[in-house]
Amino acid sequence: MTRHSSFPAFIATVLLSLILQMVALPDAIAAFRPEWVAMTLVYWAHATTDKPVLVTAWLCGLALDVLFNTPLGEHALALVTITFVVRRLRGSLILFPLPQVSLVLALAWGAYAFMMFWIDGLSHHNAVPSLRWLPVISTTLIWPLAALAMDRLRAQPKLRRLT
Amino acid sequence: MNTRLHDAAPKPLFARGPGLALNFFLLGCLSIALMVMDTTSPRFAVARAWAAWALQPLMWVAQAPQNLAQLGDTFQPRDDLLAENRQLKQHQIELDARLLKLESLEAENERIRALLSSAASLPDRVLISEVMATSQDPYRHQIVLNRGSRDGVYKGQALIDANGVMGQVIQVNPTTCVALLITDPDHGIPVEFNRTGLQTIALGRGDGQGLSLPYLAGNADVKVGDLLISSGLGGRFPAGYPVGRVFELRHAAGENFMEALAYPAAKLNEGRQALLVWSEHGADPVADVTVPTARPEVKKTQGERERGSERLSKSAASKSPGKNASAASSANNPAMGGEKAGASSLKLSTSTPAAPEKSAADGSADAAKTSAGNTAATSTKAKHKADSSAAPAPPP
Repeated sequence: MTRHSSFPAFIATVLLSLILQMVALPDAIAAFRPEWVAMTLVYWAHATTDKPVLVTAWLCGLALDVLFNTPLGEHALALVTITFVVRRLRGSLILFPLPQVSLVLALAWGAYAFMMFWIDGLSHHNAVPSLRWLPVISTTLIWPLAALAMDRLRAQPKLRRLT
Repeated sequence: MNTRLHDAAPKPLFARGPGLALNFFLLGCLSIALMVMDTTSPRFAVARAWAAWALQPLMWVAQAPQNLAQLGDTFQPRDDLLAENRQLKQHQIELDARLLKLESLEAENERIRALLSSAASLPDRVLISEVMATSQDPYRHQIVLNRGSRDGVYKGQALIDANGVMGQVIQVNPTTCVALLITDPDHGIPVEFNRTGLQTIALGRGDGQGLSLPYLAGNADVKVGDLLISSGLGGRFPAGYPVGRVFELRHAAGENFMEALAYPAAKLNEGRQALLVWSEHGADPVADVTVPTARPEVKKTQGERERGSERLSKSAASKSPGKNASAASSANNPAMGGEKAGASSLKLSTSTPAAPEKSAADGSADAAKTSAGNTAATSTKAKHKADSSAAPAPPP
């Protein structure tokens, strides 16, 4: 087993999360879109140590900034921050079972939403504050499922043989 | 270490390379520097445009489900298509007939406008574009269109659909452009009430549905159901297009101002086509579709026509709505009856915040509007007063 055994899964999930972040949803549920990119990066920061998550987070953030036309660096800063925090606290986090980790990570999604809110405020982009916190809820709810799915993906022998 | 419990990759005993915290610090500083530079100077526009171009494949993939859902349109029974074809042909004939009438009406309109010495208001150059993607943030109302600088699209260009004004272009990439919709909280558009000619500004509410008109006087003559049309002040949006319809009036007790809420007239989240309108620049676009401008035989001399077009360009060149309005008021003072000026002074306090000089003016700013037929060209009246008095009435 090589060291970078789950690298293809890493790249694939990150790309998939970028796409999911942009796929058009019906208006009624668009506000509930989970933060797919943040979720994926946090998963990899939490589950593994050998992935360059910080740099990836930064690049993904820049891509999101370009795609959503926000000030360059807004998503990047928020993603790098929460990825760093989770990677830093990884030693304690992995001691807990998944449901508890999900609850703790709700704070991370909240921090992410807050940073977006804050930077938007600094750059004078007014928005409806109530809608900003909906993704925190949806991300918290979807995280356990996504984490389990990515666990399975990471354990795929096929993907391992590719490397 | 307990990392072994979870992952196959063991944590090295001694960390190699730059530490995690250092990495974080560097990337964070880089992000903040980027943000500051990006918001303060336009230097990054090019880099952003190319990055957007490079990310296009991602966008296409993200669009795929939507396109797949539309695949159903490709397979339809032949009979249905034939029936639809027949229907469309009939409709086409009807429209042609109406167009004939329109041409004569337009000629008449032009003659009457010549009498009023105001310039024609509807632009004639549009470009059909396809909506490639919509911003999925609930608090950023933007769409990406498949036209870019190669098609002559410019920043600030107005965007309309079949029902009304949609928004304006805020970023131009080589092959795509990003447009801000009128419902975005960052967006404001100068409008006027079609019924009364009252001018104000409609701001996006950011909830994806409505527009807010916060600067209305408490006693302004506004009713639910009033139609808002673009006033064209500021020269960015073409005048005379529907913007929205008032659905609610909010009058907070003890407040001098009343707020009106309106639904946009344009179908912002339906349909995949939008029209880019050339209204202020003299740029030469590659127009795929040129709406036929009826040029009927208005009996006007060539000299007069030239004067008219000169007026149009001048009105577009003068950008500040405040300046326009006050100029109009000062010039129209002698022409206006005292009664009219007095009656319309009620509306005066409703002037937009972008035009503070206007409310300071002497009460007849809106009188100009009442007589000029609600066009954005009121300002041009001031500048060409001499013209108008000299211009002969067109022969019958």
